[in-house]
Amino acid sequence: MLSITALRRWIFWIGLFAFIAWDYRASAPVNLRLEPPLIAAGSGLPVSGGHCARPK
Amino acid sequence: MNTLADSPLTVAAARTRRVWSKRWPIAVAVLALFGWLLWSVSARQALLLLVGVGLGWALAAARFGFTTGWRHLIEQKDPSGVYGQILLLAVLAALSMPLLAHFPETQAALGPPSVSLLVGAFVFGLAMQISDGCGSGTLYKAGLGVPLNMAILPLFALGSFAGSAHLNGWLALGALQPVGLVQQWGAGTALAATLAALAVVAVGVGRWSGQRFSFRSMPRRWVWGALAMAVFAALNLLIAGQPWGVVYGFGLWGAKAATALGLFDPAANAFWSDPGHAERLHQTLLLDVTSITNIGILAGALWVAPKRPQDARPLTGAQWAVGLLAGFVLGYSSRLAFGCNVGAMVSGISTGSLHGWIWVPMAFMGTLIGVRVRRRLGF
Repeated sequence: MLSITALRRWIFWIGLFAFIAWDYRASAPVNLRLEPPLIAAGSGLPVSGGHCARPK
Repeated sequence: MNTLADSPLTVAAARTRRVWSKRWPIAVAVLALFGWLLWSVSARQALLLLVGVGLGWALAAARFGFTTGWRHLIEQKDPSGVYGQILLLAVLAALSMPLLAHFPETQAALGPPSVSLLVGAFVFGLAMQISDGCGSGTLYKAGLGVPLNMAILPLFALGSFAGSAHLNGWLALGALQPVGLVQQWGAGTALAATLAALAVVAVGVGRWSGQRFSFRSMPRRWVWGALAMAVFAALNLLIAGQPWGVVYGFGLWGAKAATALGLFDPAANAFWSDPGHAERLHQTLLLDVTSITNIGILAGALWVAPKRPQDARPLTGAQWAVGLLAGFVLGYSSRLAFGCNVGAMVSGISTGSLHGWIWVPMAFMGTLIGVRVRRRLGF
């Protein structure tokens, strides 16, 4: 039988994966033709990711 | 009488078997997610998942807690955790600043010195002691299975979203342009100034605690934890082109949920209507850098969990309520402060952002109150 700790963990991970799966289905499809280079440094392309330090 | 069945060696072997029997399904799940990201999303995001796993493993296995390091310095005059953090900052700065100078595509964690930063960092430092975890701490403890931190995570996301939605209002109270030392002085001078400032902090901590910085007297876990995290955080900068961050991903998750529930109109909000943020709201979170490393950190800590069972002391109803409220406040204040211990302190200072150096004293002042509140609440 599952311990309460194990049960909490299962609920947490199932909730997280459900959220990711819902988001993947609800979001715009991934366009693989626009895939960025494997390594950003040295690619010559500007970085456009979100970061908590940036005000914009 | 000891028999062969219960000899220490046999007991240790049985324990190792038990740990690995729990670990292999985690390894299979991570590899499956890595392969699927590689095939269906992007090779860069797949690689960043592994960087996140490395960070989560280092945080959990070394128990590299920013919050506990500060608390032990204040309450027990034990500086080892803070020395570990200084070592992390120094090594990461030595790796990051030359990268920033050499590759113009890479970006520093530049936040604006502002009223928002002062208020946010102070409140964050206070709240992180109550909830016993900063941004990365909440993630890795949730991955380890600590009940309060697992429950805090969604509230952290909600708070981070609320903070981002209000950010422009806070910035209107007064803000300067971000200051980047690498851009102003070049990598060599910026690194020398950063290392000198860190040395001054280490001397100050040593004088106050009565224990000078020494590799020999520091617990090993703080040393190898700092080195491992510096390597993975530098890989994050190299691969993603931006420094390690935690909080942006949480805010994005909260914004996605609020938008889907019809509670929020991103087009009417100054922050989320910005083209970059609006694009990330429309695309899967698996394409977001901080989201993918956050998922990796959770998985990396889960890998460590079988070796560190988390049967935490049960909390009272009041402790749960205050802890959850502190989780929301953590999220909100970290957006105002332009990052948590990771985004503002680790990434800010190591990439030469002035806002990181303002964040630390403000958050430490908040922590001085936070440890007292924590004690009063009986945590």
